Amino acid sequence: MAANYWASTQRRHWLFTREKLADIRDGLRERDKVTHSQFPLPDQRLLNIYFNQQLIKLGKRMSTRQQAIATAQVYLKRFYTKNEIRQTNPYLVLTTAFYLACKMEECPQHIRFVVGEARGLWPEFITHDVAKLGECEFALISEMSSQLIVHHPYRTLTELQTDLSLSSDEVALGWSVINDHYLTDLPLLHPPHVIGIMAIIIAVVFKPAHPGNFGNSAQSALAATMRDGGMNNLAYALSDKTGPGAPRIHKLVQWLAESDVDIKAVVECTQELLSLYEVWEQYSEKHCKELIGRMVKSKNLDK
Amino acid sequence: MDKSQQPSSFQQLEKLGEGTYATVFKGRNRQTGEMVALKEIHLDSEEGTPSTAIREISLMKELKHESIVSLYDVIHTENKLMLVFEFMDRDLKRYMDTRGDRGQLDPATIKSFMHQLLKGIDFCHENRVLHRDLKPQNLLINKKGQLKLGDFGLARAFGIPVNTFSNEVVTLWYRAPDVLLGSRTYNTSIDIWSAGCIMAEMYTGRPLFPGTTNEDQLMKIFRLMGTPSERSWPGISQLPEYKPTFHNYATQNLGQILPQIDQLGLDLLDRMLQLRPEMRISASDALAHPWFHDLPQVQAQLQMQQQQQQQQMAGYGGMVPPQPAY
Repeated sequence: MAANYWASTQRRHWLFTREKLADIRDGLRERDKVTHSQFPLPDQRLLNIYFNQQLIKLGKRMSTRQQAIATAQVYLKRFYTKNEIRQTNPYLVLTTAFYLACKMEECPQHIRFVVGEARGLWPEFITHDVAKLGECEFALISEMSSQLIVHHPYRTLTELQTDLSLSSDEVALGWSVINDHYLTDLPLLHPPHVIGIMAIIIAVVFKPAHPGNFGNSAQSALAATMRDGGMNNLAYALSDKTGPGAPRIHKLVQWLAESDVDIKAVVECTQELLSLYEVWEQYSEKHCKELIGRMVKSKNLDK
Repeated sequence: MDKSQQPSSFQQLEKLGEGTYATVFKGRNRQTGEMVALKEIHLDSEEGTPSTAIREISLMKELKHESIVSLYDVIHTENKLMLVFEFMDRDLKRYMDTRGDRGQLDPATIKSFMHQLLKGIDFCHENRVLHRDLKPQNLLINKKGQLKLGDFGLARAFGIPVNTFSNEVVTLWYRAPDVLLGSRTYNTSIDIWSAGCIMAEMYTGRPLFPGTTNEDQLMKIFRLMGTPSERSWPGISQLPEYKPTFHNYATQNLGQILPQIDQLGLDLLDRMLQLRPEMRISASDALAHPWFHDLPQVQAQLQMQQQQQQQQMAGYGGMVPPQPAY
């Protein structure tokens, strides 16, 4: 986290339009159609949920900052815009993304410790050889053209906390929403401040009835509320500045109207998050694990 | 990937220096003939790519400014990384040794260098990056009289938590008193302290506070700037390395040890060398200081001197090292 977002490599090289991102992925698929049909994988978002859970497990025994987990997830996304997942051992890639992200976010971990933890979790897929991790790190840096500084939306949230007089519950919920957005393509599609504002709006508009207990993800707290006509509330609140909404929402809407924020983009992000919460209900850790395991083993990608 | 270049695109010339994690060579781009500095980084099986290298590369990819050395390319080979930097003739330390009068530089050059140094620092700070290791060896000078910040191996981004920084940074001589006292919540002001030490050194040709140990470094600072107390620096007694038994020195006049400096320059230096970090001037305020008001004239004068030298040198085939700018 550093430097100016507007002049950043993130904005210049790692921000895509939806169409561009789809083209890139089609291109990767075209290059190896056979493998693609041979080894079907779950929806990208379900895979992301799986990877995120693995990253959290990996970081558990090390005091890892949330921001390092977030950076690791962005590295995975960037890496897989350049490489077809079916040509890689995802367990090695995610361990490496974690290791590199910890270095970047200044909570470095020893390479042997990281490999040891990873072996404890996925003994079939990670070898003792620490040099493998070093090599993979080298590849990751190279594929990302050494553009490793990631701007995260957490800062927008903390910066606007006072201006928008957000309660600690709202900040906590906003924080969880930001955690969740790493499970979608949003980090490759929108600038961090747009995501941060989306998280604030969701926290304020959809404040769940039982706050204070949404843990790492906001999914359980929000999925139902948002589905039950919640999106209409949002559209209503955002379009009608004099609407009947609570004064808090009114204030937020006024602030939005006066800012230069791309409201359309914010709404789009909200929809993306809603659809994540919908697809989440199909998530099965076992299923993801099986499909990835079969692919890695059949193709000898763990060697 | 930076596929544009291969290591073979560069002819490796003499070694320029050896760092903690890298070796630096002079190089020539075979296609364009342009000179570059090649920094070779070896991979360590116990660390992968060194953290310092990762930090430097990633920051240099973001920080593009005329007062910061440019990173042109990163070349990945089998077992090493090669960073291709803009070529600079020498660092400020060597510049002072070879061009100054017993290390001392002339006032016009000092003003020009200080302005460029502060512009580079200001740009870093605006981008929320601390350099943390400013010293004459890390400031690079080229034939055009440009000064640029280099070696960002210890630099860090000051993102959210500022209280977990390691306090083992900055070469002792240029290290700010708050860092020496063990403060871990330091900020941009540590780079300003270093800049102040460098400014004084350019006037005298000698380091301002050449301490040998942490405590000796503090004593050298206090002997000149006065020993701070809870009254002059509220909260100082809470810092880990503070000792109530510090010898109590009175504040000296900086001008006495820097007879060459003018009043405005002394005023700016005094604002940079404040013991209390929160009293230190910021880089952007320093750039607006009246000492720099005559900068355009100073630059014009330097430029004229430089042109004269180049004309003289043309007679020697341009191979003679540049002469002092006065």
